[in-house]
Amino acid sequence: MQQQLTNLSDKELISRARKQLDREAEGVLMDRYSHLLVAITIPYLNSQPNLDPNVVFPALLQRLSASLKTQTIYKVNEWLLHIQKGYIGKPEKNTPFYPSRDGRDLLHIENMVDKAATNIIDRQDLIVRLEQALQRLSADDNALITQFYLENKSFADLTAATGLSREKLRSQLKAAKGKLAKLFMNQGYVK
Amino acid sequence: MLSNKPNNDKVLKIFSAIRCLSRDQLPRYMEGRLTDVERHLVEQHLTDCDLCYDALNALEKEEGTERYQDFTNKLQRYVQNSIQPVSHVQKVAQYTRKEKNKEHMLTYFWIVAFIGLGIGSVYVLRGHMRNQPSVRIMAASLPKKDSVEEQVATGVPLVTAAQNDPVPAPAPATTAAGTAAKPVATPAHVDSAALKRAAALKAQQKKAAADSIRKQTLLQKQADSLKKDAADKAAAQAKEEEKKPEPKPEQKPEQKPKEKEQAPPPEPVKKETSPTAVNSDEYLYKAAMVYQQQGNLNEAIDRYKRIESVSSGKYVEMARYQLAICYRSKGQGGKARRMFREVIRMNGSLKNAAQQALDSM
Repeated sequence: MQQQLTNLSDKELISRARKQLDREAEGVLMDRYSHLLVAITIPYLNSQPNLDPNVVFPALLQRLSASLKTQTIYKVNEWLLHIQKGYIGKPEKNTPFYPSRDGRDLLHIENMVDKAATNIIDRQDLIVRLEQALQRLSADDNALITQFYLENKSFADLTAATGLSREKLRSQLKAAKGKLAKLFMNQGYVK
Repeated sequence: MLSNKPNNDKVLKIFSAIRCLSRDQLPRYMEGRLTDVERHLVEQHLTDCDLCYDALNALEKEEGTERYQDFTNKLQRYVQNSIQPVSHVQKVAQYTRKEKNKEHMLTYFWIVAFIGLGIGSVYVLRGHMRNQPSVRIMAASLPKKDSVEEQVATGVPLVTAAQNDPVPAPAPATTAAGTAAKPVATPAHVDSAALKRAAALKAQQKKAAADSIRKQTLLQKQADSLKKDAADKAAAQAKEEEKKPEPKPEQKPEQKPKEKEQAPPPEPVKKETSPTAVNSDEYLYKAAMVYQQQGNLNEAIDRYKRIESVSSGKYVEMARYQLAICYRSKGQGGKARRMFREVIRMNGSLKNAAQQALDSM
């Protein structure tokens, strides 16, 4: 059972945990993200000695489990980060998680790309529209995206070429991708 | 076109979803122990995923990965431990619930089955009791024999007393009027009238079916007439005493009115007491008829059964016929039919009547 569940996607695990009250599915999901949860919590444990890992992690898991049953979760990583930040920032308050508009745009395009993988006509159409959106992007962003995604250049290569820090480079790339997504979506609306 | 294709596919790559970094991918990426393709994928994901990028930054600031590994192990164990027992308990609970449900269904089934069996057996038993041979009922009714006869005897005496006068009369009212008016004319007719009546009575006996209403009214009339008779007698005696000088002509008319008055009752009564009245079978039969006509069917049935078992000849047939009628009016069609059939089998005088009754049932 455990073995079968680990092969399922996040979405499937969430729906199982919700509809069938399947604690095992929930456990597999938590297990899948536990190392990331630990990694992002370690700095807080270091900086705040009053935080006990034996208390923090179970409490975090409980909170995640509670919100898993009630909230809309498009992307587990965003949701997890939000809950963790909320817990560390204000342990007494339970801040609900709302996926961002940009996040939903990205998710929408990702789903379209996913579906197009098996449909050649859709795929051709999608490629044409994406290239059109890419053309309308500003020259800098266009160059960045082309280099990173299409020419397979690593962070290290790009930082060396542009002289930007990795942090900066990443945020620029993220912003450019966001703009591209928005252009693509608007293009879709205009059509 | 062909040269474009790989480039085209790469455009889609911008928006392809990539899973978060796995537990050992993170340290390997930090140490640069990834292939170019894998590294590129990780970096693509890192651009989008804040969680993974935060985790990467946090780990890079740590001196070693021991703590990360340690905590991760502990957390995973914790998750496993908290999930496993629950799921096991859940499974056990589900299983026991299923079993209980099965047991409940079984008990319901058996309860329903037993109730059904009980109802069925009661029904069958009742049917059996109803259809039991008459032996028991007869045995129960036998001890009553004497009392029945007594009843019959006590019920009849009035009648028998009145019957001793063979003289008939059309109706008490007319006789009362006629006593004074035609004293002399009557005596001559007496004998012929008596003969006629005897013939009529015999005919009626053969019919064997007497109307209860008529009987009752006649009985009543008889009682009335007896009273009147007594009153008339008293009056007549008074008259007699007054008119003693000429007794013969007077006495005759006197006696005749009496006879006339007494006459009405004899009609029904004679059936019972007429020459054949000696026969106890007929006696019993009449008594049963009276009960039947009074509506006391059970009593009547008892009597008829006794006649059937004790007597012989045409009374058995008649009794059976009446039994069948009693059963029919009680609503016991099966028994009634059986009786009618027996009557038919006896091939007697009532065969046709029984056949008709059977056909109409």
